[in-house]
Amino acid sequence: MKQSTKKIIATLCMATMSMSTVTACSSSETVEEKVTNAPEAAATVAAKSSMSSEDIIKKAAGEGKVGNWGLGNEYEIKALLTKYGQGTDYLSQAFDMDGFDDDSITLASAMTYNELGLVKNSYDGGYKYGDTVGTIDMNDEGVAMLEDNIFCTKDFATKNPNTVKAFLYASVKGWKYACEHPDEAAKIVYEYGSSVSGEHQSYMANEVQKLVTNDTKGKAVSQIGAMNEEAMQQTLDLAKKYIKLDDSAATDKLSKFTLDNVRDNSYMDAVSASKDGKFGTPEKTDVSIQLKWLPQAQFMGYYVALKLGYYDEVGLKVNIVPGGGDISETTAVNNGTVDFGVTWVSNLIAANAGGMNLLEVAQIYQRSGLVLVYKLDSFK
Amino acid sequence: MRKKRKSLWRRVNENTYIQATSGLLLPMAFGVILFALWQTEVLHKIFHTDTFTLPVPTRILSVIVDNPDKVIQNVVATVTVAVIGLVIGSVIGYLVAIIATLFPRWGGGGLSIVAACNAIPIVALAPVMTNWTKDVSKDANIRSMVAKTLVVMIICIASMSVNAYRGLTELKPFSLDLMKSYNAKRRTVFFKLRIPNSVPYIFTALRVSIPASVITAVVSEYFAEYVIGVGRQIRENIVLAQYTAAWGYITVASLIGIVMYVILMIAERILLRRR
Repeated sequence: MKQSTKKIIATLCMATMSMSTVTACSSSETVEEKVTNAPEAAATVAAKSSMSSEDIIKKAAGEGKVGNWGLGNEYEIKALLTKYGQGTDYLSQAFDMDGFDDDSITLASAMTYNELGLVKNSYDGGYKYGDTVGTIDMNDEGVAMLEDNIFCTKDFATKNPNTVKAFLYASVKGWKYACEHPDEAAKIVYEYGSSVSGEHQSYMANEVQKLVTNDTKGKAVSQIGAMNEEAMQQTLDLAKKYIKLDDSAATDKLSKFTLDNVRDNSYMDAVSASKDGKFGTPEKTDVSIQLKWLPQAQFMGYYVALKLGYYDEVGLKVNIVPGGGDISETTAVNNGTVDFGVTWVSNLIAANAGGMNLLEVAQIYQRSGLVLVYKLDSFK
Repeated sequence: MRKKRKSLWRRVNENTYIQATSGLLLPMAFGVILFALWQTEVLHKIFHTDTFTLPVPTRILSVIVDNPDKVIQNVVATVTVAVIGLVIGSVIGYLVAIIATLFPRWGGGGLSIVAACNAIPIVALAPVMTNWTKDVSKDANIRSMVAKTLVVMIICIASMSVNAYRGLTELKPFSLDLMKSYNAKRRTVFFKLRIPNSVPYIFTALRVSIPASVITAVVSEYFAEYVIGVGRQIRENIVLAQYTAAWGYITVASLIGIVMYVILMIAERILLRRR
C-alpha cells in the first residue's frame, strides 16, 4: 500500500515536471511574441535602412548570421557573398522563420512568394513585421539563378514529343490564366491541397505572378514558359562556379556543360507557334508531374490547367504529384516514377552532372524569387 | 572389431583448425563474391537498378580518396559528437542507475521513465535541441555541436541506466546472502559486489549505445544549424542527386560504426579477460 502510494506520487512528480517544461516553452514563446510586436511600432518612424546592401551583407557575413536552407538553394547566396568579398559560409536555416525572428539569423533567405509573406503579414502563421523589414533582391544584385521550370528525361522527350508539346501548351495556358486571375488561381490551389492558409495562398499567387511575367531585368515577358537565353546562361555560369561536387567525374562533367546539356528550346518554340494546341496524337495520354514542394500557389498554373480542363482539351490525363520534405523531384523523374517535374535549373544542372539525363523543356519562373530579408532595426 | 574409419567429410568437419579458418574464410569469400558481383554490375541486373543509383565500389571509393580533407573534417565532426555524447550519456546513465539502486523503492519506477527517453524518436528530439541551444554560443558550429551531443547523450543515458541498474541489482544467487552472513555493510556490498557485478552489463549497454550514438549523431546532423558531418553530407548529396558521393559518405558512416564497435570489442576482451 505504502509503496504503491509512493509510486503514484513519483509518477505525479514526473508528470508535473514534464508539464512545467512544456509550459516553460510556451511562456518563452509569448515573450518572443511581445518582442516581435515591439519593433512594428518603432519602425513606422524608420522607413528604410540607411545602410547600403553591400554594408548590410558585409556586416551580417562578418557576424556569421547569413542564413539559407542549403540543399541546392544556396548558390545565389554564395555568389552574392563572393561578390562582396565575403566567405561563402552560411547558417543552415530551418523551413520556418523562427531563426530570423529571434535574431540568430539577421540576414535570412526568403522566397518573395512564401517566407517573405510570412515575415511581413499578420494573418495566421505570419510574423507581423509589416514594413519594418528590408530585402536584398538577387535580380538587382546580378546573381539571379532561374528557379521553377518544367523538365523530363531526354529519353521521354525524344519518345513522346507530341505529349511534351501538348502538356506544355496546356500548362502555359494554365499559367497565363493564373497570372491574369491570381486570386481565383489561389482558390483553385487551395481546393487541391491546403498546406498553407487561404490568405497566404492568395498572397503567394500574386507574388508568383510577378516572377512568371517579369524577367530578371524587370521587363515584361512576352511568352510564358519560353527560356530567356541570357538568364539561362547566367544561371549555368553561376552553377558551374558555385556547385561543389565531391565526385570528380561529376565535377569534370559539370565544367564542360553548355546550355545544350540542360535544355531544349524546340518544344516551347512549337508551343509558341501553335494557335490551337494541336500537335498530333499524344504518344502517352496518362502523364504525371512531380512538384518541388507541397501543393501551393507556387504551382498554380498546373492546378488551374487541371481544374479548367486545359489538359483535357489537348487530350491528356494529368496527375499532379505534390513534393515536400526531402523528396527529390530529379530522382523521381529520372527513375520514371513520374513523367514531368518542376525543379530549379541549378538542381537540374547538378543532377545531370551526377549522371542523370534530364532535359528542361520550359522555364516558368523568369526571375529569381530569392531575397535576403533583414530587420531594419538590425542594420541602422 | 575393426574400428570404422571416419569419412573425410567428418574429419574435415571435426578438425578445429579447419573449423576456425573456415569460420573466417567463408564470410570473407561471401564478401569478396558480393563485391565482385557488384563491381561487374551483375548485382545491378539482379536488382534491376543502374550504376547511377548504385555506383560500383571503385567509384564510391574514388569519392573518398579524392576528398581526404573534406571527408576527415566531416568524420571528425561526427565522431566528436558521437563520442562526447556517448561518454557523458553513459556516465550520467550509470549515475542514474546507482541512484536508482540506492533508493530501491523509487528506483524501478523512476528508471522506467528514464528508459522511456529511448522511445523518443531522434527526428523529434533533434530539432527541439537545436531550438533549445540557441543561446549557448554565438558560434553556430559550437551551438549545433552542443545540440547534437545532447541528443546522443539522451539516447545513451537510457540504455546505460537500464542495463547498469540490472547489473547493480540482479546479483548472483546467494552472493548477497553470503555478504549478509559476513555482516558486510551496505557500502561494502555496493563496492565489492554490486559495482564489479555491473561491469559486464556496462559492456552490454555500450554494445547497444555505440551504434546508436553514431546513428543518432548522423541523424541529428540533418537538423543542425551548422552544415557539417557525415550525415549532413549524405543528405545534401542525395537531395542534389549526387548518389556516388552519397554512397561514399554512407560507406564512411558505416566504417565509423564498425571501427568504434571493434574498439569496444577489444576493450571488452582486455577488461573482462579474467571472467
